[in-house]
Amino acid sequence: MRKIFLLLMLSSIFAQRLDPVDLAMQELRTTVEIASRSSMKVFVEDFTGLN
Amino acid sequence: MLDEFPETLVNIEWHSPSYTPGGSDFDLPSLYSQRGNMYGVGGIPHSQWQGVENTVGGYPNANWSPMYNAFLPIYNSFVGNSTPYDITINGFYNTDENEVSYEVTVSMDEDMSSTQQKVDIFVVEDNIWSYWGAVGQYHNARNVARDWITNDGLGLDISLSGETQMFTGSFDVSSAWDSENVQIIAVVQNYSTPKQVYQVAQVNINDMDPDVDDDGIMNGDDNCMNTYNPYQSDVDGDGVGDACDECNDIVYVLGNINGDADISGDPIVDIYDILTLSDVIGSGETNPCMEGIMNINGDGSVNAVDVWFLIQIVINGTN
Repeated sequence: MRKIFLLLMLSSIFAQRLDPVDLAMQELRTTVEIASRSSMKVFVEDFTGLN
Repeated sequence: MLDEFPETLVNIEWHSPSYTPGGSDFDLPSLYSQRGNMYGVGGIPHSQWQGVENTVGGYPNANWSPMYNAFLPIYNSFVGNSTPYDITINGFYNTDENEVSYEVTVSMDEDMSSTQQKVDIFVVEDNIWSYWGAVGQYHNARNVARDWITNDGLGLDISLSGETQMFTGSFDVSSAWDSENVQIIAVVQNYSTPKQVYQVAQVNINDMDPDVDDDGIMNGDDNCMNTYNPYQSDVDGDGVGDACDECNDIVYVLGNINGDADISGDPIVDIYDILTLSDVIGSGETNPCMEGIMNINGDGSVNAVDVWFLIQIVINGTN
């Protein structure tokens, strides 16, 4: 019983956590998915450059 | 994400002439500055969302991932907006001539003023794998601008639900481009400030349909592009095939407001047209076929004076 409790404790302590960027990515993906179902479109023009 | 949701996210990369990979042909100096000036682009990277919102700046070493946090609220502000416009792009890529003929069709499902509304058509090349010396890395450049065909926009004349307008043209596919990745992007954009983009569509030049209704007549030559009519019959000679000509000019002539005809197909102008015209003036309810046949006295406006003129025509039998 003590071993199981210890295992549970370790599992929760070392559980994987999503960093804020991952969470933002997930949220953005969900939004885009909803948008794609309703045929809404978003247009982005990037003015950019590197050399 | 562009690959995951190609129907939702549409982008164009405009590369600053001063900052392109060495030896590349990414830079279009005059088009870059013209398009950039529309949005007041100064420092780069500059992302212009739906023509009206922008984010300026990025993260060091071309690490764009953290920018999602800045992009998310902007993206959310546009998702869910409704638009009266729909755009379809069709055409034909002639691989022998390396030439693309295109037809961009804009249609409306709600009324909206067309003042300052313009259609722009761009050619982009996707997935250009290039070495970027500044960061010492290879990058996959997405939807790099190759041409702005309609440089300064084409006027959009439609403003009523159900109306459509087609824009046709052609361009050459450069031998320097990978034709597998060349795409056409079309937008409806308001040219007054702010420069709001109301709709956008994109298609790979290899995925266009040259004969939408499968009647053997190419779209550009078809008098009913969306209706199967291999014989192209057009009895009134107005350029619109009978199969899709709701307002046949033989029946809908001046004064025949209700569009009726006798057994020979000739229009009948009688008391019922007077009543219909009176009803239309009273209620304001009309249909596209009536346009141009109600202004009996030719003064440009439809009113009670036209009813009086129509009465004279019916009485005198001078239609």
